[in-house]
Amino acid sequence: MKPRTGFFDFTGCEGCQLTVLNLEDELLELTELVEIAEFREVASGAGGELDLAFVEGSICSPQEEDRLRAIRARSRVLVALGACADTAGVNALSYADDLSALDAGVYGPGEPPRAAGYPRPLSAVVPVDHRIPGCPIDGREFLGVLQALVVGRIPELPPHPVCVECKLAELPCTFERGLLCLGPITRAGCRALCVEGGDRCRGCRGLVDNPREEPYFRILEEHGLTEEAILAELGVLHLSRRGGR
Amino acid sequence: MADDNGARRGAAARRAAFGRPATRAEIEQFARALTAAYEVVGVQERRGRLTLDPLEDPAHLRLEYPPRVHSPKKFLFPNWEQLFRFRLGETVLLEADRAPVPRVIFGLHPCDLHAVGVLDQCLFEGEADTAYRAKRRASVLIGVECFPDEHCFCTSLGTDRVAEGFDLFVHRGGTDYRIQVGSPKGEVLLRRYAPEVEAREGEPISSQPPKPTARRLRFPVEALAPLLEEGYDHPIWQEIGARCLGCGTCTLLCPSCYCFTVEDRLHLDLGGGERVRTWDSCQFDQFARLSGGAEARADQADRQRHRFFRKYKYLWDRHRRTACVGCGRCSRECLAGIDPVDVLNRLFELRAGRESAAPPGGEYRPRLAEVVEVGPASAADRRLRLRLPEPVEVSPGRFVAVSVFGLGEAPFTVASAPGGGREVELVIREVGSLTRALHRLQPGDTVGVRGPFGTGFPLEEMAGADLLLVAGGLGMVVLRSLLLAVLARRRQFGRVQLLYGAANPEAFLFGEELRSWQRGGELDVRLIVDRSSGGWSGPHGDVTRLLRHLELDPGRTAAAVSGPAGMYRFVNPLLLDLGIAPERLYLNLERHMKCGLGKCGKCRINDLCVCECGPIFSYDRVRHLREAIER
Repeated sequence: MKPRTGFFDFTGCEGCQLTVLNLEDELLELTELVEIAEFREVASGAGGELDLAFVEGSICSPQEEDRLRAIRARSRVLVALGACADTAGVNALSYADDLSALDAGVYGPGEPPRAAGYPRPLSAVVPVDHRIPGCPIDGREFLGVLQALVVGRIPELPPHPVCVECKLAELPCTFERGLLCLGPITRAGCRALCVEGGDRCRGCRGLVDNPREEPYFRILEEHGLTEEAILAELGVLHLSRRGGR
Repeated sequence: MADDNGARRGAAARRAAFGRPATRAEIEQFARALTAAYEVVGVQERRGRLTLDPLEDPAHLRLEYPPRVHSPKKFLFPNWEQLFRFRLGETVLLEADRAPVPRVIFGLHPCDLHAVGVLDQCLFEGEADTAYRAKRRASVLIGVECFPDEHCFCTSLGTDRVAEGFDLFVHRGGTDYRIQVGSPKGEVLLRRYAPEVEAREGEPISSQPPKPTARRLRFPVEALAPLLEEGYDHPIWQEIGARCLGCGTCTLLCPSCYCFTVEDRLHLDLGGGERVRTWDSCQFDQFARLSGGAEARADQADRQRHRFFRKYKYLWDRHRRTACVGCGRCSRECLAGIDPVDVLNRLFELRAGRESAAPPGGEYRPRLAEVVEVGPASAADRRLRLRLPEPVEVSPGRFVAVSVFGLGEAPFTVASAPGGGREVELVIREVGSLTRALHRLQPGDTVGVRGPFGTGFPLEEMAGADLLLVAGGLGMVVLRSLLLAVLARRRQFGRVQLLYGAANPEAFLFGEELRSWQRGGELDVRLIVDRSSGGWSGPHGDVTRLLRHLELDPGRTAAAVSGPAGMYRFVNPLLLDLGIAPERLYLNLERHMKCGLGKCGKCRINDLCVCECGPIFSYDRVRHLREAIER
């Protein structure tokens, strides 16, 4: 019996589901492994019990909370798909602002069309069994996690930081360019795409299990960064809380 | 001094080194010709970076490049290596990996050639790693000159020049090059793919002094292993552990680090997969994590120390070579600025500082101890109880050196019970001027004491056994200390028998004490004397007589023998005949000694230093030493 699998989305850009759909070469093989019962981006779903639920996006409203709880209730295994679901991702930028000011900025004066709260990761509402970090997710990592769940292995994420990716790709350290990089405390698994592309690591995959915060912050200070600048950088992807969640 | 090493090995490199002249154009042509049969990799610029990669155009091959370029480890011991493939189905089918690609690595720096030597040493030792060997054999190594940058410290490790381990080496020679042949394979390649060069007469390669490096160890490479040995508990590990990010950059970039992990990769269709190995790092979480979650090296300080020990000590202990080649890649890219040269120099300075803080020769200077009790140990021998200024760790078999200023110093076995107290008890037999002076001491007098020194009985290993103690004369002193230790934990031992021989009944040491233990049923004491003048109802003869008709269970008995040098020759064979295991037969092999520090050379039994390894030895440890047992 192929596991019945559903894909769901909440507040987010749906880029992680797109990443799944972009796995063109593997997509057909994927459908051999699992029965895709629900995938709003592709087809309307049938409902019912699920073996696997991949859930994208952050939870921002009571309605979203209810819907997530309902998905959880009918899913054997629930996986947070991408940074918004995993850590609240870039959505958490709004934490820096007052909620009513945000509402007024987006919807204009008066009562906002629906009550929205600060975005939260799935784990703030329901138990999450596994997670696939990243903004967006890495397609190969998604396949690895899915395969592990199908064969009954515990999915594992790389425990080491992005520095490893840079060394394997022979990329010079971002700090040598005078830029702040979150690579030393961010979980690897991305092949250092952003650094390769000329940017720096902004921490989309969340913190490693055991971030060496003290030595890291000392290094940032040695590079002349103020506490505010460090916190602002960590705030982009909501890393300031330990564990990235 | 560090440079002397380099100079020495450099001299080896210079010996008989000659090379055939070649132009840059000819070398390019050579590289191009090699592509017919090999994948040729070399350093070239790619997207603004210099990398060692398959050559797209030999015209772009860099023969001079900075030490920062990543090492050839990625080809010889790649991060992703398929060990085998498997197919799942009715039966599991295992398939071997493909044969490795024949490859020329065109341009290894001397340090990296040394690093290949380290990989060879580590991966061929014991069960050879044939996956590595296959790649190694399929590879041709061509060396090139290097120009150290501010992170290099190859000269301190003698890896700035290289005399062997390459197939060809391209030296700079004025505006041209000189190609040195390092192996028959290199000779053949040159003949086949650069015949004009091969046909030329070789020219001597001009003398090469050690390369100047800004960073250097302030001590010779030979001092590294002992320095680390001594520095195992040094606070510097905590200090660098607290700075370390655990990112593994140091080991990933290291040209000789090869620790790996192995995992299965299943194909998406689940029909099969491959078992692959990838680089791992001793700096990572999980590297030494046991199933169940316990960490064998939980602290980053432990991990950094482990890395240093593997680089500078463990391989040195076995093969007299460091696993570090001084390429500087780890410090060059360490965000936390952990620099092995700094760490090692600081370890050295801290030690040197500590030594210079104490007055020179301090280890020879005794502490002053007060005599607190004197009394008879036998008719002729004196018991002396001393109080030291601070507590000392004594255990049965260890000894102290006692001084009477003006007369000298001599070693004495500790007769008292083990423990960390301030008092020790000695037995003094008057044999010379020093012991005569000790006999005259009264409570309140002062003597000098150094120690305790030496290695005593392994009480933990002996626990649980029946004990057979065989003493002759003054040899009883150490066994009295052992008996006190045993009686303090009597229930951990089985039967305890003491066979004790003395010259005459008056010569028995601790007679009253032994009798009271015998009466208390704590041990079985049997005495024998050489001669007596009446009043002795026991047997006469030497102690071996007591070994006849002895009841013991040899399988559960440990024996300890202590007596005059001549006694062992007779007692040992009898005990072995009784079935005592050689590793459970402990001997007290006292020797003349002057320092207790392993230096004076007087106490050596062949190559063993009694004051450090002894005086208590198991028989199996010394049986092969011709000087151990008097013949």
